[in-house]
Amino acid sequence: MSDARHPDSDDRRESDRRTTELIPKIEQGIVIDHIPAGRGVHVLAAVRGYPGMENTLISVGLNYASTKLGKKDILKLSTTNMPDEVIEHVALVAPRVSIKRICDYQVDKKYVIEFPQTISNKLRCRNSNCITNYEDRVTTVFRCFDSMTRQVKCGHCERIFFLDELDLIRATD
Amino acid sequence: MRRDLISIDDLTLAELNDYLGFAARVESMSETDKVTLLRGKVLAVMFFEPSTRTRLSFETAMQRLGGGVVGFSDILATSVKKGESFLDTIRTVECYSDVLVCRHPKEGTARLATEVSRIPVINAGDGTNQHPTQTLLDLYTLQKFFGKIDGLKISFAGDLKYSRTVHSLLHALMKYEGVEFILASPELLELPEYLKLEARRRGHTLHETRDLMEAVRGADCLYMTRIQQERFPDPIEYDMVKGAYVLNAAMLRGCPAHFKVLHPLPRLNEIATDVDATRHAGYFEQVLNGVYMRQAILLDVLEVTL
Ligand SMILES: [Zn+2]
Repeated sequence: MSDARHPDSDDRRESDRRTTELIPKIEQGIVIDHIPAGRGVHVLAAVRGYPGMENTLISVGLNYASTKLGKKDILKLSTTNMPDEVIEHVALVAPRVSIKRICDYQVDKKYVIEFPQTISNKLRCRNSNCITNYEDRVTTVFRCFDSMTRQVKCGHCERIFFLDELDLIRATD
Repeated sequence: MRRDLISIDDLTLAELNDYLGFAARVESMSETDKVTLLRGKVLAVMFFEPSTRTRLSFETAMQRLGGGVVGFSDILATSVKKGESFLDTIRTVECYSDVLVCRHPKEGTARLATEVSRIPVINAGDGTNQHPTQTLLDLYTLQKFFGKIDGLKISFAGDLKYSRTVHSLLHALMKYEGVEFILASPELLELPEYLKLEARRRGHTLHETRDLMEAVRGADCLYMTRIQQERFPDPIEYDMVKGAYVLNAAMLRGCPAHFKVLHPLPRLNEIATDVDATRHAGYFEQVLNGVYMRQAILLDVLEVTL
């Protein structure tokens, strides 16, 4: 498995460090890794609100050492099945996190989630004169304008915003 | 796929040029040939805010193609005032018609209409966002006067900060090769920085000035806009500025024969009436071109080919 051999120092050192960590390795589940420190709670909020995730066990690690990021946050979930919708939501609140599926204590699948091309019904438009803020039953759509600067364009009023300027429509709303 | 016309940004250069070619074919037809093309079709004109000229242009365009027109242009007289949602209004009116033209003071309404409508939607202005039929008729006017758009030197004067017409036309012109821009405006009403950056990034030359005469000299075309008093917190400042951006016939002496002045109309006092009689006045022909372009658009979304 090429992913497992990838020279990711964070992975390699995980076994050395695990006695000092507060979250043990998991036999099976999903690890959301390389979350920039401070964003872990946002990722947690994004994950736990989704229907189907309410019985999932979630451990949260904050401020772990990372060679890539200096400090990182990390989430471990008991489920191996995270709906695409949840992954898309995570992609919005934290840039370029890695998702690792764990099977029998081994990384079975690993990928980095990229900035989404289209974001449907997750963001509220900040333009106070945008029709999406006046009509009921409207699905907002934002499209990636520039993934480097994390700018998105409202599919209705066509204004461009930095993603962090926009409020999320909560799944529980 | 159903055709709509919502935003100039949705159109490629080839699609823009297709519209210009289509409008030219419409213009070349006789009125008697045209009047059968949309016989039996009904256009619903839904103006949630008044805009008499745009509405008349669409209604004339449709009637001269043999179609009928229903609709409203006074929000007070309609159920919208009673609190009916925009989407319910669309769902109702589409039952009576074959194509919708929509103008609304909020941004994004025309796009939203396409999400529920079963018939084509044409955007006739959504808040400060888009007014694509105006942009297409402006391009058609340039194409007719100059035989090309690539390489033209075009001046914009007046309110370059808030003018949706100017922003939209600039976006479209940036798709053409080598178009140069001269921007003449008071400091308070300069073109937004992001548009200047984008024009430069795409390789266009920009020249900025406060002097209207610089926008006249050396350009092929001067596109003028209204300067509205409500943009100025201080009425004295408005009076000073508006006097500096008034064009008259004397200023056009020495201009090359092909030089044209355009304006989206209605004008306030920024073009003196003595300009009308000069060969440089292009703004009334621009109005006529609007009818041909809107006819081309109606035919296009109703999938009638010529
Ligand atoms: Zn919007």
